[in-house]
Amino acid sequence: MQMHCFGRKLCCSSYPLVPVSLPSRRETHFWYIVPDEIKDESLLNRYLGLLSSGEKESVFRMNGDKLRKRALLARALVRTTLARYTQVSPRSLKFKKNLFGKPEVEWQPDEKWDPPSLHFNISHTSSLIACGVAADMPIGIDVEEKHRKTRNNISALARRYFSTHEVEYLDNIPDSEMQQQEFIKLWTLKEAYVKALGRGFSASPFNTFTIRFKDICQSSLQVSKNFSSEAYEIVVEALNDSEHLATNCQFAIFELGNLHFAAICTQKDNITQGEEENMLKLKAWKTIPFVEDECVSETDTIIPISGLA
Amino acid sequence: MTSIVGATISVPSSRSLCFNQATPRISGLKPVSVSIQKKSFPSLKFRRSFRVSCSAKPETVDKVCEIVRKQLALPADSAVTGESKFVSLGADSLDTVEIVMGLEEAFGISVEEESAQTIATVQDAADLIEKLVEKK
Repeated sequence: MQMHCFGRKLCCSSYPLVPVSLPSRRETHFWYIVPDEIKDESLLNRYLGLLSSGEKESVFRMNGDKLRKRALLARALVRTTLARYTQVSPRSLKFKKNLFGKPEVEWQPDEKWDPPSLHFNISHTSSLIACGVAADMPIGIDVEEKHRKTRNNISALARRYFSTHEVEYLDNIPDSEMQQQEFIKLWTLKEAYVKALGRGFSASPFNTFTIRFKDICQSSLQVSKNFSSEAYEIVVEALNDSEHLATNCQFAIFELGNLHFAAICTQKDNITQGEEENMLKLKAWKTIPFVEDECVSETDTIIPISGLA
Repeated sequence: MTSIVGATISVPSSRSLCFNQATPRISGLKPVSVSIQKKSFPSLKFRRSFRVSCSAKPETVDKVCEIVRKQLALPADSAVTGESKFVSLGADSLDTVEIVMGLEEAFGISVEEESAQTIATVQDAADLIEKLVEKK
């Protein structure tokens, strides 16, 4: 297990969350929970005890036990994850929403401690809840079930919501199963981008930007190849002069376990140059907060698709 | 679809509490048919769920509920009403766009991106649909 404790006091027994050092500038941390693995009522109650009253209300407003559990685990994951990087207890973290509604930590001022500029973003499916963390740069993540079936036809969905280039890319895929997978991958990348921007789904409609893959060696734009190659760099282009385009976005997409795609979008670290430095360094952990953490970064739980160092 | 629109409890059997309280004589009946419910309870419950006059017809709300249930693969006994928020039903962004497409198809309308983003509840969707259908 790659847990780093950098001269920080080990947490006392009341908060047995293993501390972790902050992500470096080119690093993203990715923590996830598999909800089906957490069934213990007393553990779930413990998580409930971490939430603010507003968060508890939101949890109970969800329809049905399964959705409530998911909402509870999502908040517990955010709180416990952020607590690992700080000297703050998970219960005492405060959150606020930015101008556009994106959740952020509201660090409490304390003379003895300079809070880190930690950014986080969560995403969930019915079978997985994930929290991405980055230091000093915005982050957006999205997870989707690989085999998620859409009710509408892929082409129809793409035409309605994606950019022209992306529609063309998908239309050129003859195999329907592969087309479905590429659709899902594109969706997760676009979601991750919008969430990194932090302006909400509505402010950055999917058809106002294109996700493309640039051939790293030739610097040309390839249309017919698919994502599954590390020789390609994922780039985003705005279709008009929208102010939301971030020219220094960095993307990564990978398979997580057998069931999911996960996409991450952060800002590039402009200080270091060179190809290798453009790839994202990922550290990933599967966690049951307060019970166990399993570092999965160098295992075959994570299968890089593109953008990972 | 049950005739009790807007109730927060969906009651699979028709022997609801109100039923028994209001007409104790009928409490001995076996599960009644829909028509009897309508006759004995002239939409007292119906009215409670209606908002101000410009909200959508119950049939529209019902149709939206049906499309939402299908998209989210909700169990038959889960409560979906006009007040249900998509987020609380577990809809993510892909579900939401699929629901919008389903509504467009079912009602023969076209929903602009900006309007789609204002839809938070089933009722919002139904109201928007009727506005768009009227415009046609």
